[in-house]
Amino acid sequence: MAQAMAQNMFRISQVSLNNVVRCNAYAFAPATSQAKAYSSASTTDKEKSKNPIQKSVFISQSTDIFTNLALEDWMYRNFNFNNHHVLLMWRNSPCVVIGRHQNPWVETNTTNVAHQGMEIARRNSGGGTVYHDRGNLNLTFFTKREEYNRRNNLEIVSRALFREWGIESVITPREDIVVKNTYKQISGTAAKLGRPNAYHHCTLLVDVNKVALRQSLHKDDKGIVTNATQSVASPIMNLCEINQHVKVERMLGAVGWEYLRTCPETLEDGGQDLINKQRGFQLINPTDNWFPGLNKLKEELSSWDWRFGKTPKFQVNKSFRVPKEFLGEGEMGVQELKVSLEVNKGIIDDVTLKLPPGLLSTNGFHGEVDVVTSLRGQPFSERAVVSLENALHDMSTKEGNLQGKSQFVMNCMRQVMQSV
Amino acid sequence: MRSLRGLHYSSVARISRCFVARWQGNVIRYISISINCLSGSRRFTDKHEWISVNENIGTVGISHHAQKSLGEIDFAQLPDVGAVLEKEVTCGALESVKAASEIFCPVSGKVIDKNASVEQTPRLINSSCYDKGWLFKVELTKPDELNRLMTESEYETFIKSGVYK
Repeated sequence: MAQAMAQNMFRISQVSLNNVVRCNAYAFAPATSQAKAYSSASTTDKEKSKNPIQKSVFISQSTDIFTNLALEDWMYRNFNFNNHHVLLMWRNSPCVVIGRHQNPWVETNTTNVAHQGMEIARRNSGGGTVYHDRGNLNLTFFTKREEYNRRNNLEIVSRALFREWGIESVITPREDIVVKNTYKQISGTAAKLGRPNAYHHCTLLVDVNKVALRQSLHKDDKGIVTNATQSVASPIMNLCEINQHVKVERMLGAVGWEYLRTCPETLEDGGQDLINKQRGFQLINPTDNWFPGLNKLKEELSSWDWRFGKTPKFQVNKSFRVPKEFLGEGEMGVQELKVSLEVNKGIIDDVTLKLPPGLLSTNGFHGEVDVVTSLRGQPFSERAVVSLENALHDMSTKEGNLQGKSQFVMNCMRQVMQSV
Repeated sequence: MRSLRGLHYSSVARISRCFVARWQGNVIRYISISINCLSGSRRFTDKHEWISVNENIGTVGISHHAQKSLGEIDFAQLPDVGAVLEKEVTCGALESVKAASEIFCPVSGKVIDKNASVEQTPRLINSSCYDKGWLFKVELTKPDELNRLMTESEYETFIKSGVYK
């Protein structure tokens, strides 16, 4: 597999050798000299007419989600896209990626995902949660802000699918790519707009593990109340299900060539003539040497503070039916214990326990409540569950077996923490 | 012109007061408007933010052009109170179906308030971008920076030129 990929890379390089060499000369000059060239000066009309927009295709050699997100961010912040558009293509090892303003505890089961050895990453662009693995190809279209055009980019992808494999696809009003006559999505899209640069990135489902996808994006009702952006679940399919010859390596070439042969403003197909005027393909090794500051971006993107702490404020509300044996004599009907946690910036801000009258007893709940309120200030994570368990263990060693009622309350707390 | 007949009494009173004010206070009203322009008039950036300053406190928002091009805003991430910002540095983001767009601070200063209603109901930015959809307030540290921003009429010309989207 790796050999075949390497051979394909070589084939791409061979065919556009002149372009790659030209690309090496100035697009990949040592980053220090590039840094000087990064002005945020706007393109005047005179400059535009003098120098037509040229295109490059960059292919990242990393499969680490944090490195690739850092590379994307680095290019957005530092690269000069004056008269130069770039398509960055990248793939990742299995992971879950949430949108900038999303809640990871809503969108996925964080404990399960961690147990499967997958990372949860938060990207800088908006949109919903996606599952990545090596059967998924990510495309990032970089331009200056005023040249940003999402629909044009999707049109290029659609044409590539048709030209290479005869697959007909449609761009929906929501600007997703859907296979014609199936209404199944093969691509999800998101974007980031700033000044002077902007980017639009999308996924392409070539040969993704659909079982792993469904398991990692499975949402239960966890009683979370939040104003974070919610994902819109859509039925998906792999491109290899439509045509078994569709492979990621070939997709790299198909989309890359289509991008280079398409005129950026008019979307006209310029064919080989236009390709010869572009800067061609370039393999990218995302290291701090080539991209100074990349390691710092990668550290920020992989930090707990960014991935979980950036979550908008939310509340977790859960009710538990109190077993009859714990209710006082004469208490009738169904009574519920209500647990409510307020989480801000990923830290448990407040814990509220609403005890029904039947649960209140002469021995009170002081010790247990202390244990519960010790959750305050803890990050909303497995760590908090562990510290709660330890506290419970300490209590039962000190006071012998916990009273049945207390045990029940503690079990409820444990369930709330573990369910997310 | 609506007939006054049949309107509730208080509405009638309001309308008639309005007429009286306009008739008698024309000159005075004109002067008071001018004073407002000097202290609280809006200035614009080329990134489509506006700022309106009153006693060194600037209220920041995005322009009608910006909210229209963003589409319906689903999430507003505003700077925290107490944050110290530099001019033209990213200080937040607005997310719509189309994209996550950065918010840039028009001037240097310290954030003293943010609009919790907008955090709760981001669509306020679309429906009332100059009024209820304000984003945050900042205490200016370099008031001279205001002079480099566009006036309302300069901004209108800027938009019409179509140079920037």
